[in-house]
Amino acid sequence: MITTEVTYEELAALMKQAAGITVDPQELRQSAESPFDAFGLDSLGLLGIVGELENRYGASLPPDSERCRTPREFLNLVNSTLTAGA
Amino acid sequence: MNNRRPRRAAVTGIGVIAPNGMRTDAYWKSVSEGISVLDSVTREGCEQLPLRVAGEVRAFDPAALIEDRFLVQTDRFSHFAMAGAALALDDAGLGGEPAEPFSIGVVTAAGSGGGEFGQRELQKLWGRGSKFVGPYQSIAWFYAASTGQISIRGGFKGPCGVVANDEAGGLDSLAHAARAVERGTDVMVVGAAEAPLAPYSMVCQLGYPELSTLDDPARAYRPFTEKACGFVPAEGGALLVVEDESRARDRGVPVRATVAGHAATFTGASRWAESREGLARAIRGALDDAGCAPEEIDVVFADALGVPEADRAEALAISDALGAHGTRVPVTAPKTGIGRAYCAAPVLDTVAAVLAMEHGQVPPTPNVSDICHDLDLVMSRARPAELRTALVLSRGLMGSNAALVVRRGDDSAR
Repeated sequence: MITTEVTYEELAALMKQAAGITVDPQELRQSAESPFDAFGLDSLGLLGIVGELENRYGASLPPDSERCRTPREFLNLVNSTLTAGA
Repeated sequence: MNNRRPRRAAVTGIGVIAPNGMRTDAYWKSVSEGISVLDSVTREGCEQLPLRVAGEVRAFDPAALIEDRFLVQTDRFSHFAMAGAALALDDAGLGGEPAEPFSIGVVTAAGSGGGEFGQRELQKLWGRGSKFVGPYQSIAWFYAASTGQISIRGGFKGPCGVVANDEAGGLDSLAHAARAVERGTDVMVVGAAEAPLAPYSMVCQLGYPELSTLDDPARAYRPFTEKACGFVPAEGGALLVVEDESRARDRGVPVRATVAGHAATFTGASRWAESREGLARAIRGALDDAGCAPEEIDVVFADALGVPEADRAEALAISDALGAHGTRVPVTAPKTGIGRAYCAAPVLDTVAAVLAMEHGQVPPTPNVSDICHDLDLVMSRARPAELRTALVLSRGLMGSNAALVVRRGDDSAR
């Protein structure tokens, strides 16, 4: 459970840590409707980010989260799930 | 596809990441000068293990050669393979985006996969729980990881394969690639790289009775001598670009060698006496495949396991297959200076054979100064010689035997 939402900054940092992809948080926010493919993130990479968020916040994310196609879709799902229990 | 004459696999690119040098020039300088880089194992977590000496690749900085997004999902063995492939492609003048992705394929051989990555993830599993195991564990350890990652990184969509066939699989991968070229694929990236010096990987090897446990780097690996006491393992590898010879000539790149013949046999794990017949059969098969008479072999790169029974079997196999020529032909084993990098060992030997033919020199066998077999083993310093055809031998600890015949590039044009 969190009170502050997962940000584009945190997502960018996770993309670097879990998938080795360097992306500017501003650019991630501006291109939030672009598919993850466009940033070079593959499905295993997203799965790793889901796992890291689950460990970080001690909460389970829905199975749909690793099938999200864009950063916006992903953050909306993650934040609605993580803040729902708050 | 050119139907006017048979397609032939030409070596046009070489990429080496070896304990004695990265890049081909450094490797050849060290090999031709007979420098031994065998040394005490320095890898963290290995200090207490009974394996004391190995051939480590110490100057390798994967982050300088490979993009982060590949680094996070791959083991050290794939780092070596990807770096070697990039060097080989550049050497062949094929760096950058492929013009025809389906015309380039990849085949690698692997002996044990990604042990270091696997150990790290298993430690997380044990120490913190299954949720802390990263998803890339599903691919990083896998034997086929290097083939896959080289393909993805280069954008290659031609036929791919992985040979998981014991140490001799390194030679088998070259044969596999040559056949792919003969069947119509323009270019194959081929070879092997291994990273067997992480603690977990090392423990796996401790059960091999053939492993040398001496702590003196100068004495730990001395095949063909009375003091032979096993082999020293190594990490690293070599990747080659092989392509259709006529295509290479059309592109105007040098044909460094041709893959002329290959054969493989199987005689069972640690059954070294039987490897005499198995290796001899492989040699005869490779000569037949190459249309090569025994007397045409100008140099033999020996398997050189360093186990007395295996060394005897190899010396006899060479004589069995080559007849009287077998005791006259120069034999060498440059791997005594760097160790045996499992599947990568015979690929590094093949590279040494190509370079030996280019330079007209048989490199020496480091750390070996006297032998107890009827072989003309080249020791102490390189021997100048006109070399047109080389025979490379390999045996795996699990019983595979293979022989490969390579010919000098400028000779194959005739």
